[in-house]
Amino acid sequence: MSCSNLTMWVPSKPSLSDTSAISSRSFICPFHLPNSSSSTPSRSPTSTQIQCSLRDLRDRIDSVKNTQKITEAMKLVAAAKVRRAQEAVVNARPFSETLVGVLYNINEQLLTEDIDIPLTKVRPVKKVALVVVTGDRGLCGGFNNAIIKKAEARIRELKGLGLDYTVISVGKKGNSYFGRRPYIPVDKFLEGSNLPTAKEAQAIADDVFSLFVSEEVDKVELLYTKFVSLVKSNPVIHTLLPLSPKGEICDINGICVDAAEDEFFRLTTKEGKLTVERDVVRTETSDFSPILQFEQDPVQILDALLPLYLNSQILRSLQESLASELAARMSAMSNATDNAKELKKNLSRVYNRKRQAKITGEILEIVAGADALV
Amino acid sequence: MTLNLCVLTPNRIVWDSEVKEIILSTNSGQIGILPNHAPIATAVDIGILRIRLKDQWLTMALMGGFARIGNNEITVLVNDAEKGSDIDTQEAQQTLEIAEANLKKAEGKRQIIEANLALRRARTRVEAVNAIS
Repeated sequence: MSCSNLTMWVPSKPSLSDTSAISSRSFICPFHLPNSSSSTPSRSPTSTQIQCSLRDLRDRIDSVKNTQKITEAMKLVAAAKVRRAQEAVVNARPFSETLVGVLYNINEQLLTEDIDIPLTKVRPVKKVALVVVTGDRGLCGGFNNAIIKKAEARIRELKGLGLDYTVISVGKKGNSYFGRRPYIPVDKFLEGSNLPTAKEAQAIADDVFSLFVSEEVDKVELLYTKFVSLVKSNPVIHTLLPLSPKGEICDINGICVDAAEDEFFRLTTKEGKLTVERDVVRTETSDFSPILQFEQDPVQILDALLPLYLNSQILRSLQESLASELAARMSAMSNATDNAKELKKNLSRVYNRKRQAKITGEILEIVAGADALV
Repeated sequence: MTLNLCVLTPNRIVWDSEVKEIILSTNSGQIGILPNHAPIATAVDIGILRIRLKDQWLTMALMGGFARIGNNEITVLVNDAEKGSDIDTQEAQQTLEIAEANLKKAEGKRQIIEANLALRRARTRVEAVNAIS
């Protein structure tokens, strides 16, 4: 381990009490005073070496140890929460499966009819609402930044196209970001919670619904982080409204994904390490009684179903977003713990060397003193 | 023949067991469903669902959705459902009053749409509590 690697880590306090000449040569406590490096080339090891006392080093080691404990705990908490998040996804499945099945069938019946439903109406786009889903807390790597950057990029794109836009911000981090930027029009600030529930999805859906139906906006896009694996997640943009009556989810380029294909992730342990399995389940959409009668017009039924569908879409994206956040936090904290361990190791080595040098120096002094007496 | 009722919301299964009879508020009025009902699909309004277990009637507040009946299986998909016994009477009453006040204050198309929805939800919850007696 070269000295220069340690430069940033050791406290930059010059030692007050000094040790012997020997120790100052054998032990180099190599760091730069932050302000002293202005004139000297910062990385040259000889120019700005400053010693620190043993006690400073010990304090430093203790502080790193504490940090490591905290980051480790955060990592474990995040891991436990990923499990909970995944449970919520599993709980939501019976609903979404049945929903997709019904939607598919009704849609088949409606293929021949001319339908006019407010939620599927495609209007010429003048104003777009962006629903930006961020996390509530930091310390999760680039998670919040990535989604906010994506939102900024989309806003620029819309501006370039000459379209008006408004933002619906979900999550504390997004709220504070947009709150600090008054030039971005924000329609509503909403807060997420530990576990997304249907109520929160409903609050977003209500807002989006009334914006769209009252023709204040002509398109609603949902920006959230898609959970790919524990180490990878993608910020994505989905068109939320107008809904396609076929039960498909379209991205902004018009590429559609069949909603019947339901993916969900599962946290497992493989060889002692956490991994994620992602299952793709195709919902069976064929078993439907052919003699089924519709109590109301199929159009009315679709009208009742689509808000449900909207809701479950939003809920799902909230859940994915939460899972991504937790996964991001897990890996960030895991890295932090590793760094802390490494740092602690290096610091202890320096500390031990220095202590040894001091003892040697003292012995030499005693011996020299004894020699002089003889 | 037994009739099975399954009430699903996006985050959980609220009810999944056998019932004797239910009365469901659909968009075109209330319908009663007994065993061996003809297969139908219907939109469910924001309203109350009454469930009969032997001689006992239970109520549930449904927040709008969809129901499918067939093969002695009732599947109700709703945004949210609350059992009448789980709702706090006072809280529900207060929410209703707030919703009524909000509707009076509402201006513009969008606010009226929102206020109306909130009012209907609040009213349903109050009804679900009061229907028990």
